[in-house]
Amino acid sequence: MISLKTVSKLYNEGRPNEVCAARDIDLELARNKVTVLTGPSGSGKTTLLSMIGCLTRPTTGRVFVDGDMVSGLPEKFQTELRRTKFGFVFQRFNLIRGISVIENVMLPAAPLGPEYHELRERAQNRLERLGLGAKADMPVEFLSGGETQRAAIARALINDAPVLIADEPTANLDTVLTERFLEIVGELQAEGKTVIMTSHDPRIWQSSHVNTVVRMQDGRIIGVDA
Amino acid sequence: MKHWLRRQRYLADFTLAALARRRVKNTGLIVIYSIIVFVLASAMMFSAALRNEAGTVLAKSPELIVQQLVMGRHEMISGSEIEKLAGIRGVASVKGRLWGYFYDSVNGANYTFMVPDDESYALQPGEAILGGGIGEARDFTWDTAPLFVTSLAGKMVKFNVRETFADDSALLTADLVLISEADFRSFFNLPPDVWTDIGVTIRNELEIATIVGKAQLVMPNARFVTRSDIERTYQRLFDWREGLMTALAAAGVLAFAIFAAEKASGLSAEEAREIGILKAIGWDTGDVIAMKLWEGGLISFGAFLAGTVFAYLHVFSFQAGLFEPILKGWAVIYPDFALAPHVDGLQLATLFAITVIPYTAATLVPIWRAATADPDQVMR
Repeated sequence: MISLKTVSKLYNEGRPNEVCAARDIDLELARNKVTVLTGPSGSGKTTLLSMIGCLTRPTTGRVFVDGDMVSGLPEKFQTELRRTKFGFVFQRFNLIRGISVIENVMLPAAPLGPEYHELRERAQNRLERLGLGAKADMPVEFLSGGETQRAAIARALINDAPVLIADEPTANLDTVLTERFLEIVGELQAEGKTVIMTSHDPRIWQSSHVNTVVRMQDGRIIGVDA
Repeated sequence: MKHWLRRQRYLADFTLAALARRRVKNTGLIVIYSIIVFVLASAMMFSAALRNEAGTVLAKSPELIVQQLVMGRHEMISGSEIEKLAGIRGVASVKGRLWGYFYDSVNGANYTFMVPDDESYALQPGEAILGGGIGEARDFTWDTAPLFVTSLAGKMVKFNVRETFADDSALLTADLVLISEADFRSFFNLPPDVWTDIGVTIRNELEIATIVGKAQLVMPNARFVTRSDIERTYQRLFDWREGLMTALAAAGVLAFAIFAAEKASGLSAEEAREIGILKAIGWDTGDVIAMKLWEGGLISFGAFLAGTVFAYLHVFSFQAGLFEPILKGWAVIYPDFALAPHVDGLQLATLFAITVIPYTAATLVPIWRAATADPDQVMR
C-alpha cells in the first residue's frame, strides 16, 4: 500500500548545518497492518513518518501510496492526500488551544465544507467512541494527558482516512493510558485501518497489536521485524 | 456556492475563535489601528466639511461683486451705478446689497447685519432672522427671544426674531442677522439709494472677463471681485491649512507604515505553529490564507469602522476639538459655529485604500511564507 524507494532527506541542504535525517530508505508497508518505527532519538523516525504522510518531501527517492507516486505531487494534491488518506496524531498532540474539543475534532473536515450539523454529529460520534462525548464542548486545555491524546485520535479519524499516522503517541502517557491507546489501535485495525507510528517505548513495539517493527539508526533502517 | 459559503462559515468561525484566543494582542492592535484611522479620517472629514461649507457660501453668491473704493478703502456705492452696470450686454441682473458689521458690546460678539435679497427671507420692519451662533453668544433660553441692540445713533432697537438658521449653513450664517432694508438704513443711519456693494449675475459665465472689462470703463474707481477670485482666496486659505493637515496625515501614514511593516515582519511562534498544524491536518495554502484574510479583514475593517465613526463624532459632534487650534484657526468667527455633517465618499474610499488594503496585504506576506512551507518544517 505504501512503499518508499531509495528515499533520503536532507535538512538545511547546502548550509553548514546540513543534516541527513534519512538515507536511502527502501520500505514496504502493508494495508491493515500496525507498523512501529523505532530507534533512538535522531534516528530519522519522525522524518520518515513525515515523508510517508506527505508532511515533507524527500530530497531524493520516491514515495508511493496505493501505487501512485506522491512525493513529487504539487502541494494541492499532497494536501488532498493528507486530508483523505491520512489522519495524524502528533507527539504533543497539537490540538489548538482556546477552542473546544469538538471544534478541534471538526477542523480537518472544515475546508471540505460539509453541512455543519452533519459534521458536528460525526465529530460527536468519534468523541463518544473514545469516551470523550461528555467533554465535547470543553476547551482542550482542560483535558488530561490521556484525554488530549484521545481527542487527537478523534481528530485524526474525522475524515475516515484509511491510514493513521502517530508520532510518539504514548511518549507522555502512563502504563494504563498506553494500554488504552493500544486497545484503540487494535480496534482501528479491526476496522481495516492501517496504523503507522513511531515509538521508542518497548510497551508499544512489544505489544501483540503491532505487526511490524522497523528499527532505525542514523537515518537508516537497520532491521525489520515482522 | 453552498459548499463555498459553508466553507467560509467554518473559516470565519475559526477566525473569530483565533481572535478571541489572542484577545489582548488583537485588542491592542485594533486600538492602535483605530487611532491611526481616527487621525486620518478626522483630517479628511474636517477638510471635506470646510470645503462643503465654502461651497454653500459660493453657490449663493453672484458671479461678480462690485465695490466702491475711495483712497483704497471700501465705501458705500451710489444706486445710480446699478443702472450703468445693468446696461452692459450679457448682464442678467444687478442688485444693490446692504450689509455691515456690528459689535455687540453687551455680549462681546461681532454680528454681520444684512438685508436679504432672497424673496423667501422677505422681512417686515422690526423682524429679524438670526444665525445659530448668536443665540449661543447671548445665552438665550429660547431661540426666538427678541434681539435688543444699540443703533449707530445710540438708540436701543428691538427686533422680533422670526426664525433662526439651520446648522447646515453655519459657516455663512452663524453670526448673521437678517433685517429689512428700512431697518438696516435706520439702524446704520444710511441715506436712501446707497448700497454696501452691488451683486451682478451674468448670463454666460465665460464672458465674465469681457463684462468686467466693460464695467471698469463705466466705474473706473470700483473694485470687481469675481466668484473665481473668491474661490482662489478660499483655496489659498485651504492650501495653507491643508499643508498642516497633510503633515498630520503624513505622520499618521508613517505610523501606519511602521505598524504594517511590523506586522509583515513575521508571525508569532504560536501563529506559525498553528498554521503548521492546520496544514498537517489537511488545510491547504488557500484555506490558511483565506482564514488569515478573514482575520486581517475583521481587524482592519473593524478598526476602520471604529476610527471613522469616532472621527465623524469628533468632527461633527465635538467640533474637531483635538484639531481645532490647528485646522480651524482661519475660520474662528465669533460666535463659534458647528460644521454641517458632510462626508466625501471618495475620501472615505481613499482612506479605506490606504489603511485596510496595505494592512491586509502586509499580513499576507508572512502568512504566505508560513503557509507554503512544509507543515513538517513549520511544526519543527
